[in-house]
Amino acid sequence: MTALAPVLAIEGLKTYIHLKRGVVRAVDGVDLTVGAGETLGLVGESGSGKSMTGLSILRLLPKGAGKIVAGSIRLDGEELTTLPEKVLARDVRGRRVAMIAQDPMTSLNPVFSIGDQVSGPFRYHGGLPRQEARAAAIDVLQRVRIPSPEKRLGDYPHQFSGGQRQRIVTAMAIGRGPRLLIADEPTTALDVTIQAQMIALLRRLQQESGAGIILITHDLGVAASLCNRIAVMYAGRIVETGPVREVFRNPAHPYTRALLAAIPKLGSRGRRLVAIPGQPPSLIDPPAGCRFAARCPLKVSACDAYPQTTAVGPNHSVACWRAGEAV
Amino acid sequence: MTDVVQAPIPMPRMAWLARLKGAPVIPLVILGTVVFCAVAGGLVAPFDPNDADLDAAFQPPFWAKEGSWSHPLGTDNLGRDILSRIIAGCRVSVIVSLYAIAFSGAIGALVGMISGYFGGRVDQVIMRLVEIQMSIPSIALALLLAAALQPGLGTVVVVIVFTYWTWYARIIRGEVLSLKTRDYVAFARVAGVSTPVILLRHLLPNIMNTLLVLATLQVGQVIIFEASLSFLGLGIQQPDVSWGLMLSDARQYISNAWWAITMPGIAIMLTCLAANLFGDWLRDRLDPRLRQM
Amino acid sequence: MWRFVLRRAGNGAVSILGASLVIFMVSRLSGDPITLMMPPDAPPQAIEAMRVALGLDRPLWTQYWIFITNALTGDFGTSYRWQQPALNLVLDRLPATVELAVAALLFSVSVAVPLGVLSAVYRGGWVDRLGRILAMLGQAMPNFWVGLMLILVFAVGFGWLPAFGRGGPEHLILPAIALGWYPVAAQMRIVRSGMLDVLESDYIRLSRALGTPERLLVWKYAFRNAAVPLLTMLGVYFAAMLGGAFIVEVIFAWPGIGRMVVEAVFARDFPVVQAGVLFSSILFVMSNLLVDISYGIVDPRIRND
Repeated sequence: MTALAPVLAIEGLKTYIHLKRGVVRAVDGVDLTVGAGETLGLVGESGSGKSMTGLSILRLLPKGAGKIVAGSIRLDGEELTTLPEKVLARDVRGRRVAMIAQDPMTSLNPVFSIGDQVSGPFRYHGGLPRQEARAAAIDVLQRVRIPSPEKRLGDYPHQFSGGQRQRIVTAMAIGRGPRLLIADEPTTALDVTIQAQMIALLRRLQQESGAGIILITHDLGVAASLCNRIAVMYAGRIVETGPVREVFRNPAHPYTRALLAAIPKLGSRGRRLVAIPGQPPSLIDPPAGCRFAARCPLKVSACDAYPQTTAVGPNHSVACWRAGEAV
Repeated sequence: MTDVVQAPIPMPRMAWLARLKGAPVIPLVILGTVVFCAVAGGLVAPFDPNDADLDAAFQPPFWAKEGSWSHPLGTDNLGRDILSRIIAGCRVSVIVSLYAIAFSGAIGALVGMISGYFGGRVDQVIMRLVEIQMSIPSIALALLLAAALQPGLGTVVVVIVFTYWTWYARIIRGEVLSLKTRDYVAFARVAGVSTPVILLRHLLPNIMNTLLVLATLQVGQVIIFEASLSFLGLGIQQPDVSWGLMLSDARQYISNAWWAITMPGIAIMLTCLAANLFGDWLRDRLDPRLRQM
Repeated sequence: MWRFVLRRAGNGAVSILGASLVIFMVSRLSGDPITLMMPPDAPPQAIEAMRVALGLDRPLWTQYWIFITNALTGDFGTSYRWQQPALNLVLDRLPATVELAVAALLFSVSVAVPLGVLSAVYRGGWVDRLGRILAMLGQAMPNFWVGLMLILVFAVGFGWLPAFGRGGPEHLILPAIALGWYPVAAQMRIVRSGMLDVLESDYIRLSRALGTPERLLVWKYAFRNAAVPLLTMLGVYFAAMLGGAFIVEVIFAWPGIGRMVVEAVFARDFPVVQAGVLFSSILFVMSNLLVDISYGIVDPRIRND
């Protein structure tokens, strides 16, 4: 475990989505902790349940269909899953836990000025009068390096570039000094140079604020440059978690290894990317045993039962029967 | 009859009926009744619609205290049987709908096809015309036409066609614009097929579904339009019977006979409701893109 | 922005000019207006003299030219019936028509907006179902019949509200409902589908994730987006109410332009009919123009185009 007291502790979280076709076990028994000032990378393919884990924390699940069926989510020791919706909306969302949206081009309301959108949380949520909310908005926009924000409060989203919009979205998230930031693919929609700026910005903001960050991404490169620890998610479960260097150097789960092999490395032009054969299993009726077994090159008969989580190093654990075996 | 289990026999002549499978039943029954009354109303109506009987004037419908089954929906100020008049009114509704829809659909489709197919100047001029036409409120235009022509069934049809052709023209134009780029139309053009043939043989079959949906959705509007004109005295004239005309009469004695003003309106409402529901079903089945209309 | 406005205004002017031509030609369909103006037994010389005096002996195009140039100076001719300038008659009736149209629009919007928003927020709930039933009925009931039913129930039956004439606000209620009833369904559908789209949007999700109270989220941040399509249509409905209140005005004996035109139609009073109809067209085109401009104000992306 990390030496810092955990800001967020998730235990045995199960979030199911009820569809007509059946019940999708999007998150199916997840344990996670995030310490203050720590950045946890939650890595996995799309559909692995990583976004749904993030949404479960804020209880922003698909209306009527999504439900947390088991587990606990504690923020600074306070249980969130039993908190009434009203209290959660008022005290947690945007205040103690904030979200940085995925796509800056669609995440700002096109018919309200930036000033209105950035100062909105201060006014309606924080109870600040108009002038003070405006000052707070200018301040937070400065922190994300929007040039001369006081002149741009009246501008509308379409008047900003993609990178600037991502900064504004970030400003909206950090405005009220949250304890935990959930950044869902914050760089995916950006081009490479702006990605780098965004990563630098996030790193600086974290140093300033000491907040915990959950970085949800499918991009191991981004995770490597930002995170202290990563947790690899596959088919609704976490298969490997550990300090980022440790996981990168000694990946213990075959899935992690496959993901790492799929990263194109600089200067490795011409080397073939190793694609993982097969498809992730259906989450409506997942296999009883290891969920990666069907695609795993190391599959043995033991894999028909779900593997126990075992430690393979300091703070480094993995759910695999053949963990740590040399390939 | 034998009790031998019969194998399903294919009935090609009834195939179109099979396509009605899943259609809303009640609307179809209502529309069927209206059409039946239009064709054979004289056979089922208990009275001649114009048979005045002053002794029987102002009789309420059967469920009211003084009502009787001899006039199930009551009588009007002249003692005419309201049920019989509603049945007789089906005829005007059906005839006006048929003519108005056929002509506005044909004209609108032709104009729309030409506009969409030729594009350029032709398209610009036609769309300009459509826009001008649409800038005159439809009832105002109808009043003007009704003032200029003699009131009557023919005028009602002309007025409705004049108002609605733009509706077809705009939607069909859009359809043709997208069809035009398809390969088979391009091939036909390259192969030197003449323009009328391309329009009729290649484009028309592809817009038939759209036309059918638009036509069904127009029924309710036509019926209301006819009723409105007749109500104002600019449409159907006595001794022809129309629901709008009945309402116009009944308005004079609204405080004496609530049923005389309620019943024809219910007939209009049920027919329009049925036509609209059937049209919605047809649209969802044949051409869901029209939902935005 | 100004170029945008000018371009729209130009289009509108062409439409009005075209409409005037249509109106002129249609009124001439009835044949020679002289026969309507003179007693049937008038001597032929008198008819001929009248024809020359009114310029009716000249070619149709010349007549149209005279009609349109006069119309541009506000001269639509003199009412055969009232012996007054037709335009004055129309303008005298304008306030009553505008009053009714505003009231009807207020009624329809104040019913359609809450119903549309709530049926989107509680999709599939009872408000949604109620709205759908209202929408279906709205499309199937002619507005004059709605008016008659309102009179039957509230004026004849309960005696709560006056059935006809113009006066205090109580006179406005029934005609406004009758006129505003029809567009409720369509407006509600516009609001509902707009809200459904917007409520699913990333920016509303983000706003919710940042703790914006649900009421503000729906009625402020989502609604303004969903209001854009409604706003475009509102102009169309307002114009339709201004220029289409004929039957409702007749039923409620409302002293507006519509009733006057209907009366003029029966009297074959063509100058008044022409002035009334052209006037509705102008109102229609102008309100569309205003809508385009307000569209630009609500949606900043268009404004800065």
